[in-house]
Amino acid sequence: MNERYDVVVIGAGPAGLTAAIYAARARLRTLVIDESIPGGQVKTTHKVSNYPGFPEDIHGSELSLAFARQAERFGAKIRRSVEITAHDLAPFVKTLELDESETVEARAVIVTTGAKPRPLGVPGEDTFKGRGISYCATCDGAYFEGKDIHVIGGGNSAVEEALFLTQFARSVTIVHQFEQFQAEPASVSEALTNPKIQVLFGHEPRAFHGETALEALEVEALRTQERKRLPTDGVFVFIGMVPRTDLLARYVKLAPSGYVKTTDDMETEIPGVYAAGDIRVKRFRQITTAVADGTIAALAAQKYLR
Amino acid sequence: MAASVEEINAAQYEERVLGAETPVVLDFFSTECPPCEALAPKFEAVAEQFAGRARFLKVFRQGNRELATQLGVTGSPTLVFFKGGREVGARMTGEDIKRSALKSAVEALLT
Repeated sequence: MNERYDVVVIGAGPAGLTAAIYAARARLRTLVIDESIPGGQVKTTHKVSNYPGFPEDIHGSELSLAFARQAERFGAKIRRSVEITAHDLAPFVKTLELDESETVEARAVIVTTGAKPRPLGVPGEDTFKGRGISYCATCDGAYFEGKDIHVIGGGNSAVEEALFLTQFARSVTIVHQFEQFQAEPASVSEALTNPKIQVLFGHEPRAFHGETALEALEVEALRTQERKRLPTDGVFVFIGMVPRTDLLARYVKLAPSGYVKTTDDMETEIPGVYAAGDIRVKRFRQITTAVADGTIAALAAQKYLR
Repeated sequence: MAASVEEINAAQYEERVLGAETPVVLDFFSTECPPCEALAPKFEAVAEQFAGRARFLKVFRQGNRELATQLGVTGSPTLVFFKGGREVGARMTGEDIKRSALKSAVEALLT
């Protein structure tokens, strides 16, 4: 006998956990599943400074835990480290197979699978992943105590994570394709005045080199097309995100950007299937906009189920 | 519960990993590492599935830095696969290690 829920939320980031808080408080039987532990991208964000209600910075891992505990307090069930191995979301009753071993049913599904770090797509990247290349400063920063490292990117994540990495590294060189940063002015000026941070504007990575572990990053100066090899102990890549749409792509037509188009009420083309958070087509992707999406999706699902 | 996954330190590496009769999956993990926390239950579940056929070990990176450096491990979690005292196959690393992918990797290790 399959376990039955009113709502299954796929993805336990801010959007999903907020949807779960609202759904569970409305007395809907609510299950949240995630391939990882709760928090989405927030759980590996070092500090969050712009989420209302926290006048002091809060660690991303703590905020994640707080979201999850709040959802659980209202009765939402959160399943961690679970993989969806089969799914059928089109029918009136939707089914999801978990870890090839059990099937759950729900009449409404809210997909909040978010986005993941965009890979650079240059030669050597796959080879040196975990051997010098990282996409998570919180996870791997401590490996680079006293080392000379590089950060790729120039947006908020790149600049803020570069600042975080100065706690460990001896030097951090930021490689950015444009001639100036796209990050918030406050972080930019902090980075530009940090004695450990150097910046290489107008350069793009072209390849990674090394024997068994990463040894050098090859960059190209965009103006002169001159290439050079920079010796490095490690490279952190923060060049934006790509949506996680593996699940939904089977049911809906993705926008050219790869994201999922919804109505203002977070509805997809499939009745009873909602999408919320960073996976959606929208201009701004913040924790605050994700929780707003999650709220709306849960309220819309609640109306749909009535 | 975690009986199918044993923790080792660098001093045991030679005997437990290189000297093992069965294939070995070695997990380098860290503290304050959400992806490591996420991997742990999947690692244990797969370890249970292959009990007796492959050995699943974990090693705490911060406490065994030299071993990590020697193997060129710079990210957590990193799974390294061994057979007959030699590293084989592709390492798995980071946030997105799926249970099904790990299972397939271990199956490949056993053939």
